[in-house]
Amino acid sequence: MTREALALVVAVLALWQGLALAHLLPPYLTSPAVVLGELLRLTRSGELLLHSAVSLYRSAAGFALGAGLGVGLGLLAGVWRRLGDAVEPLVALTYPVPKVAFLPILLVWFGISDTSKILLIALSTVFPCYIAAFYGVRAVDPLWVWAAQNMGAGRGRVFLRVLLPGAAVHIFSGLRVALALAFILMVASELIGSSNRLGLGFLILSADAGGRFDLMFAAILVIAVLGFAADRLLLAVRRRLLAGSVLLEEAHRG
Amino acid sequence: MPAPALVEVAGLSKVFSRGDRRVEALLDLSLAVRAGEFVTVVGPSGCGKSTFLHLLGGFIPPSGGVMRVNGQEVRGPGPDRGVMFQELALFPWRTVLGNVVWGLEAQGRPRAERLAIAERYLDLVGLLPFKDAYPAELSGGMKQRVALARTLAFDPAVLLMDEPFGALDAQTRELMQEELQRIWLATGKTVLFVTHDVEEAVYLGDRVLVFSARPGRIKAEVAVPFPRPRSLEVKKSEAFHEVRNRVWDLLREEVLKLSAEGAGAPAAGARAPGERPRGRPTGPGGAP
Repeated sequence: MTREALALVVAVLALWQGLALAHLLPPYLTSPAVVLGELLRLTRSGELLLHSAVSLYRSAAGFALGAGLGVGLGLLAGVWRRLGDAVEPLVALTYPVPKVAFLPILLVWFGISDTSKILLIALSTVFPCYIAAFYGVRAVDPLWVWAAQNMGAGRGRVFLRVLLPGAAVHIFSGLRVALALAFILMVASELIGSSNRLGLGFLILSADAGGRFDLMFAAILVIAVLGFAADRLLLAVRRRLLAGSVLLEEAHRG
Repeated sequence: MPAPALVEVAGLSKVFSRGDRRVEALLDLSLAVRAGEFVTVVGPSGCGKSTFLHLLGGFIPPSGGVMRVNGQEVRGPGPDRGVMFQELALFPWRTVLGNVVWGLEAQGRPRAERLAIAERYLDLVGLLPFKDAYPAELSGGMKQRVALARTLAFDPAVLLMDEPFGALDAQTRELMQEELQRIWLATGKTVLFVTHDVEEAVYLGDRVLVFSARPGRIKAEVAVPFPRPRSLEVKKSEAFHEVRNRVWDLLREEVLKLSAEGAGAPAAGARAPGERPRGRPTGPGGAP
């Protein structure tokens, strides 16, 4: 974070606190100090850890399912041209539909359980991953494939050692979008309700019911921090796995 | 007794068709390259000289004719022919060393052997200190050396080089020409080298083959008598200028033929996958 960025965060918090102390804010905006106090209470009581763990479990399970399926199918469709062309219109038609629209159906089938939440997250993440892997494979430089064949590589080696690493930069872009969607849909699905009364989204829902705005802001803050951390983790993994390609990308950009 | 031909091409032709458009890229091309020979190919843009290397590389099937390398008929890509593309096609996700060992991995060589061979060729092209760098971190000339080392490492019988120095600036290009000659002399490889630069063709080649305008055929063959190793100084000599001008005159007839037809650039349908549009042939520097 640059010094300017840090200064901006501090300024916003100071302004918020100042306005609150001067009684210029409506009660539902509370103040940073009160939110921080609530955050400490939640941490000490262990509630925060429990809600966070449940939410992370749902996001991670949905993300893993959706990303695994999306990347796998995308690679297959990218390699097998006829399959890719056959499913292209179907994908193009369903991709723009917000997957939350399917929640009522999932609720009928699975109730407000973990299952419906995980499936909703998987449903949302599968598309960006599919599209990234599909176009990633198709964008692989055909000369890389020729070079590999020239060195005596068969189909399997070309797939594993050329198409897969060649598409990896695209795949990671898809995973990054999918990760953000996983967090968004985790909160959205928990705001509808949670059968075990756990999850950060459910914490917001119950805070709203009890008029506890300090609790609500505390939950929002935790979601933001977890989402940020997950994104940074993904970027670190990407840099580690794809050092050479990332360098190439940066060289092109700048 | 001349040495037996390592590369034999007889009656080779290639027609690209898209819809009802047919483009004859090569017509009835025949040639033979002896083991250890360095043969250069020049021709006007779109004369099918890259297509010729792609056919010999086995990447695209011919429309007619036969190609043999080491007595074996060419039926697909294979490591007996080491192709070096103009665009190099280095794998950007692999380090320099990772690129050079790639072909040896495909051949299933043991790890220690792979590393020893790769390091030997990296040393030969002078890039051993950069073995852990990624291609994106290297200059154009260094990338050329990596591509050359990668091709040499899997020990092909013949090197097929498609305008490998086309993207380099003039000075780097000259240094790479001298470097390639040194490496060729050190390894004794057979080389078929396509270029649109007449000076490069004469400096490097034992023989220069001049291709005609499309459909590509061998219009003429010019022997280059200068002894090896040739220093870059040879380019300044009267004898060099004579050979260069002879090749250039042959080439110019073809270029003029092309511009008379108004077909200076190849039709889009005539390009093989991966083929890029080429620049026009370069003439002798200070010619009137």
